[in-house]
Order: sequence, then structure tokens, then C-alpha cells
Amino acid sequence: MSSELAVVGLGRMPYGEALALQRDLAQRRIAREITRDMLLLVEHPPVITLGRGFKPEHLAAPREFLDARGVELFEIERGGDVTFHGPGQLVGYPIYDLSEHEQDVHWFLRQLEAALIAALAELGVEVRRNEGYTGVWIGNRKIASIGIHVKRWVTWHGFALNVTTDLSYFDLIVPCGIAGVTMTTVQKELAERAPRDLWGRAVDCTVLGFAEVFRQRPQMLSLEELAVRQER
Amino acid sequence: MEALSPTMEEGKIAAWLKREGDTVEAGDTLAEVETDKAVMDLQARGHGVLRKIIVGEGATTEVGNLVAVIAGPDEDISHILSEAADATGAAAGAEPAALTATAPAPTAAGESAAGRIKASPLARRLAREKGLDLAVVAGSGPGGRVVKRDIEAALPAGVPAAPAAVELAPGGYEDIEPSQLRKTIAKRLVQSLGPVPHFFLTTEIDMERAAEARDALNALGDTKVSFNDIVVKVVAQALITHRECNAWWQDSHVRYFNDVHISMAVAIDDGLITPVIRNANRKSLREIAVESRALAERARNRKLLPEEYTGGTFSISNLGMLGIDEFTAVINPPEAGILAVGAMTPKPVVHEGSVTVRRRMRVTMSCDHRVIDGAMGARFLQTVKRMLENPLAIVW
Repeated sequence: MSSELAVVGLGRMPYGEALALQRDLAQRRIAREITRDMLLLVEHPPVITLGRGFKPEHLAAPREFLDARGVELFEIERGGDVTFHGPGQLVGYPIYDLSEHEQDVHWFLRQLEAALIAALAELGVEVRRNEGYTGVWIGNRKIASIGIHVKRWVTWHGFALNVTTDLSYFDLIVPCGIAGVTMTTVQKELAERAPRDLWGRAVDCTVLGFAEVFRQRPQMLSLEELAVRQER
Repeated sequence: MEALSPTMEEGKIAAWLKREGDTVEAGDTLAEVETDKAVMDLQARGHGVLRKIIVGEGATTEVGNLVAVIAGPDEDISHILSEAADATGAAAGAEPAALTATAPAPTAAGESAAGRIKASPLARRLAREKGLDLAVVAGSGPGGRVVKRDIEAALPAGVPAAPAAVELAPGGYEDIEPSQLRKTIAKRLVQSLGPVPHFFLTTEIDMERAAEARDALNALGDTKVSFNDIVVKVVAQALITHRECNAWWQDSHVRYFNDVHISMAVAIDDGLITPVIRNANRKSLREIAVESRALAERARNRKLLPEEYTGGTFSISNLGMLGIDEFTAVINPPEAGILAVGAMTPKPVVHEGSVTVRRRMRVTMSCDHRVIDGAMGARFLQTVKRMLENPLAIVW
């Protein structure tokens, strides 16, 4: 049981850069060069990613239109269909070695949901699971999406929690390939109850949610610290 | 299709990474399989040539079904393929969309299903839950595979699905929405035990002389001095000597304070609050006694102002009056330490060469290891112990 969780805040980082970073960290976790679980927290400039379950018709906008709006496009190895990341969305990449937890991806997906539900509850948003649809929902409104990749029981990719996301971007896609889905944000759900530093609170609550659900002690590290600690 | 995860029942081939005709080694990733919202690697279990891909990209199949054939380059695989085709045909009526070839994925290493009972993961789980031996269940699924309905049929009628849960009598419990204070306490404590690396140091202190001193002081009249006041005074003074324990962890830096502000945990109706005795190092025992009584009173009446319960540099929590001998307390961040004070109890001890009964008190210090190291904390605690065992040190 890995009882320590290294939480690394990446700030605002382009998708491609974060993708390369998490792939590298996952490889090093697989090779056991890194011996503890990590949670990368990041905010991306606008980007649409196509998961392995991607169906072309779920990308509603032509690519030229995306270029015009400055939206990047990536085809990647995570599970799930198409999704959007952008400013105001808290994206988390948990790089966990499930062989130190439960060797069960469904368990892990449910744990991710539980961590986000705990975080949202802490923020004052009542949420629940939507049986059969991975992710976190408020009624039929989706507030967080989940999609992971697992190799040798090491996970990467992860979740995207809409904190203050500009939801108009989601009109460019059929989110998660489920037609008729309405996306929502923490800010929208809380309305005037939203705390002043909503983003900071969302980050804190997410870390606490992971600590609680995975029974881990989070430690905030910079990338440099993570590297230095590994070399020791 | 291999069960890549214990609760996986079906998988979708997201992508084939090897093509028909490719040579594969055991451990090579053959394909990526998607289940739920997770993509996992399907690895080869033996070596040979990927002769035939049966389940194409984008298709979903149940765990246990044949997805591809790996064999020697010239090995005859026609019987495997025809068996797979038969099974597909047989089951086509029931599940037209899914490929339901049933032969266990054969490998050149000959890792067949010999001796292993073919059963769906759901059936396996059900059997485990009901304590049923799979070997005694006749399988009705494709290729004699045990499926859910076989387990259900094998269960004696009337047997409850699970051991009856102990029924809770109505009124056996009460759900109470935590108060805002309770929530805040919970959050702060989680914040503390979560990210703060705690460690604990315990020592037992002889309180005979401190008790004598207290009796003598209280005999003077007006202000009554409690043991806790003496502990506050001693801790404040010891923290001046050991400034390294009088600090806040501030992520980017550690803030060491010149004066000591003692947070004093006070139990109130639905929780606790920590009023602060400011500049305790500069106050006399009498001043501390007066102030702590007033603060505790105001805390219980909920009259404390925010500035009266924030800004402490070190905490003291005393459960001695509740008969607790010894306990560990949770650090109140950003403070780096808290002293948990237990009850004073008469104990037989060796004192000056003979066994006598003396009043002893156990204290445990919780330290934030980011600020305080073991030896550092131990030296501080040693000073506290020495001073309490020789209370004249207070006026030294």
C-alpha cells in the first residue's frame, strides 16, 4: 500500500507537454524508478482529446473551425470518447500503481469517482454516480469526466473537473459520446454560494478527497522536488 | 479475452498493436482493450506468430472468448478456427452483435484451460459469494461455460442470497448533521493528519514538587493556580530556550517566533476551541492563571473573538481532568507541535533508592517532522520535564 501521494501542481500547461510528462512519469513508475503514487494537477489551454472509444461523429465541429478558435486536437490512449479541456477546468492525472492497491481497474474508476464526490461535497455540491456512466453527475448534468489508461497496473490520464469552465466549448463535441448530456461547473452549481477563491478551494478539496478515499498522505511537491527526491 | 481486471466481464478491442503474421514474444502488447473508461494492454502469454485476429478493432467480446490465435508459423489452426466459428454460429441467435467464440485463447506455450473450470467472471463472483463450488455446477453457456443462470439454478431454493444482515433495531442509532464547528474541526484535523508528518514523544514527569508548589501558592489566597497553568508557564518558558519548536510550517519557509503564544484546547459543548494565551513567556504564573480561566469561560459561552483563538504558536491539550492517563493530540496547523497532557496519578516509583508512591504525569508531544526532528523535540521535552520536576526554575 503506497501511503504517500506526491501531489504535483503543474499550473497552466499545454496539453501536449503534460501528456509527454505523464507518459514519462508513468513509464518511470512502471520501471519502479519512482516508488510512490503521484497526482498531477493541471489546467490546459483549450484542447479536444479523442480517446480510444472515439467515434468521428462525436466531434461536432470541423477541424478548421477548431483551429480558428485556437483549440488543439489530440488522439490519445485513454479510455472513453471525446472530451474537452480548457481554462477553469481542473484536470488531474493520477499515476497510481494498482498492484499496491487493488488490481482492479473498475475499483480504481469507482475510487476516482468517490474522491471527486468527496471533493465536491466539501465544496458544497451534492453529487452522485450515474450507474453505467463513469464520471460524476448532478442529476443528468455532468460535472466531471473520467478516462484512464492502465499498463502493468500503472494508471495515467485521469479526470477533468469543471470548476469555472466556459461550457460553450462543449458545443464543439458530443461529450463522452453520450448525446443529450448537459455539462455543468462547480461555479454554476454553487451560484452565489461559491467561495471567493473557488479554484484554490477546488484544488484543496480534490487533494483532500484523494487523501480520504485512497487513505494516503498527500504531499505537495514541485516537479523539481519530485526529481530530486527520486535521485536520493 | 483475458480478464484484465477481476471485475471485468467484457472488453472492447480499442486497437490491435500487432498484425496478423507478426512474431510475438510473451509479454508483448498485442492489443489495447477498453473496459468501462479504462484502456489496458492485452499481453501475449506465449510466443509464436499472430496467425489470426478474430475480434476486430471496435468490437466487444465477453471475457473468456477467443480474440486471436497465436501459434507456430506452420501449425495447423483450422480446428481452433472452426470451433470458434461453430460457437459463433451457435450463439449468434442470442447475441448477434458479439463474437462469442469460446475456445480459451490458445498459446504456443500450451497454456490451455486444462483443469480450469470455464465460468464467466460474474458466475465466479456469485459462486464465491454464495459459497458454491464451481466444480459441482453444470455449465449451460457456450462450450460448457458456467454462467450466472447455472449458479442461480444450483442454489437450493429458499436459501437467502446472502447471510442475513444483523438487523438494527429502530432507534438503535441517531444521525445528526454535524454542526458547522464540527465540520470545521473535522476539516482542520484532516488537513493536519493528512499532510503533516506527525511523530510522537512521550515522557513521564514526577509532579510531586510541582504539586507542593501549587499547594503553597494556592495557600496564599486570591488566585487559584491549576496544574494546567503550571504546564502552560513551563512550556512557554521552555519554548524560549528551544525556539526551534516554537514555529509555523509555511510551505516555502518556517517561521520561528520570538514570543510564545499558547493555544489551549478547551472542550465546549459540541467540540473544542483553542483560545490563545499571548506572550505566555512574558507572563507570570498568576497572570496565566487569571487569563486562562477567563478565556476558558468565554470559550464555553462562545464569546471568543476570532483574534482570541487564532495565532497560537504551540498547543497544549489536557485531558487529565477526564482521567486520561496518556494520549496523542493532533497538531493544529500551521503550528509545529502540541503537548498532550494526561492525568496526574499516584504511582509506586523508585525515588532516592527506595520505592515510594509519587504523583506522576505522562505527556506526549506531537511534532511536525518538517519543522522538528526527533532529538530536537526530545531536548525540548527534557527541559519541560526538568522544569516541572523542579518548579523553582520558573522564577530562574
